[in-house]
Amino acid sequence: MSEAEIQQEYEILERSKKDSSAFGELYERYYDRIFRFIYRQTDDEDLTADLCSQTFLSALNNVARYQFRGVPFSAWLYKIASNEVNKHYRKQKKVKVFSIEELRVRELMEQTDEGWDEELIQRMLTYLKELPTEMLQVLELRFFEDKDFKEIAFILDITESGAKMRTYRAIDRLRKNFNLRIKYDGKE
Amino acid sequence: MGRNDIRLKRQRLSSGRIAQHRNYGELMAIHERDKKIKRITRVFVYFLIVAVLISIYFIVRKWEIKDGGEGKKASSRQGILYHDASVLRS
Repeated sequence: MSEAEIQQEYEILERSKKDSSAFGELYERYYDRIFRFIYRQTDDEDLTADLCSQTFLSALNNVARYQFRGVPFSAWLYKIASNEVNKHYRKQKKVKVFSIEELRVRELMEQTDEGWDEELIQRMLTYLKELPTEMLQVLELRFFEDKDFKEIAFILDITESGAKMRTYRAIDRLRKNFNLRIKYDGKE
Repeated sequence: MGRNDIRLKRQRLSSGRIAQHRNYGELMAIHERDKKIKRITRVFVYFLIVAVLISIYFIVRKWEIKDGGEGKKASSRQGILYHDASVLRS
């Protein structure tokens, strides 16, 4: 996100603090992204719609208290969304769901089509099931949402070095277990 | 089952489908209602605090008046006793 975009977003936020209808612009801008982020953790469209509304409602109710902390506004929305999802699972006492799009996984793994077979995918799914939730969360934010480590740290309320460590550990495990090359842009 | 339930999606959720759930008008309506409830709750809490303070003030005043009355009564009773004693002595 460029400096100009951050500045423009900040101006919208300042307007939203005085007039809640100005928040609509940010709602339109981020609805899809937040919806997909929640959907990946629920795999239920109606539930996602509810949690997404709750996320934006919470943001709207607390926008006056929002303070810029060196990360884009979207990170704040992701943080609220992540908290809403966690709250839902705590209440329901269910095993957390992670639904992964096959196409996205293929994009991330630098693997030719011939190298991909159903068995490999199934093995990977079984492997991912055993990964700790914290690791899956960082992997999701890093590779599916393209977040940098600073944002991941802010969203998950961990340190930046903690976010890096979790990501590298998970990638290493994937590399060792599947002998795959994982697309990694080295973005800090 | 493992620690998490991992599901593979063959197809991506379309933007059109997501757009069906998007409703800023409804969100604003809920927000306005929440704001109203918050305002009413705040006014009620302030009213309650003022009412409690006023009640405390009146209770304390009542006690003070009661204490003052009893003090006077006690002193006047003592006066009668002294008076009686002097009558007896004479």
